[in-house]
Amino acid sequence: MPDNWGFVAAAYLLTALVLAAYWRRLVRREREHERHRFATDRRSGVTEPPAPLSGHPRPEPASRPPLQ
Amino acid sequence: MLAALGLLAGLVMAFAVAPREVTQGNVQRIMYVHVPAVWVAYLAFLMVFVASVVFLWTRSPGADRLALAGAEVGVLFLGVNIATGSIWGKPTWGTWWTWDARLTSVTVVFLIYVGYLLLRRMVDDPERAARYAAIVGILGAPNIYLVHVSVQWWRTLHQPPTLMKAGSATLAPIFWWTILANFLALALLSAYFVAKRTRLLKWEQEATA
Repeated sequence: MPDNWGFVAAAYLLTALVLAAYWRRLVRREREHERHRFATDRRSGVTEPPAPLSGHPRPEPASRPPLQ
Repeated sequence: MLAALGLLAGLVMAFAVAPREVTQGNVQRIMYVHVPAVWVAYLAFLMVFVASVVFLWTRSPGADRLALAGAEVGVLFLGVNIATGSIWGKPTWGTWWTWDARLTSVTVVFLIYVGYLLLRRMVDDPERAARYAAIVGILGAPNIYLVHVSVQWWRTLHQPPTLMKAGSATLAPIFWWTILANFLALALLSAYFVAKRTRLLKWEQEATA
């Protein structure tokens, strides 16, 4: 019997595409929801956690010691 | 991460470890997706059944969310099973599709759970939608048994059970282990999907409450 590699590739590719599409859909909806929740929290006055900083963060101006 | 590693291991088993099957040739490698996909779908529908019973008993929103997530994931994997079976059927049977007992009964199950998902969207009242869907989720489950025995009860083009049958297995151990590895990988992936979908449903319900 011939090997029919084309059919094998089609079956595996189709499976990968379907599963990846569903995973992407879940991730996208999760992100949308997090954005929506963040916007709602900001409107209701809940402060968001500080964004992670890279490198050496400078202190806020108010907390800096006065220049001598 | 664990599911991704499992999928990778499953692919290695399917293409590098398992040998070429003598009668069918390499097209038999489609079975390493086709068979595990239907087992995962059965598990998901079993979860729908249990969660639906729990929901009708306790009215727990968590059980309802689990049932809905299970139905969605079950439909996804059963769709993969039907599509890969059709692709395998063309070179092996000479046709993409035939209305034999196994293929027809599995299509009926697929449509029942697609109906379950449609029902959730058609009924406006969420509590009523959950109740109706739970009834469909319970009534749909016995059809899975019908799919399983369809190849014994009727004369079909689809072969009789090879793995889930009484008595000694007719499959060489390497084929069995490859199917098992792929089943574990897809089962892990489906558990990840169900967990993610359930959490998403919880957030959506909290947002609309």
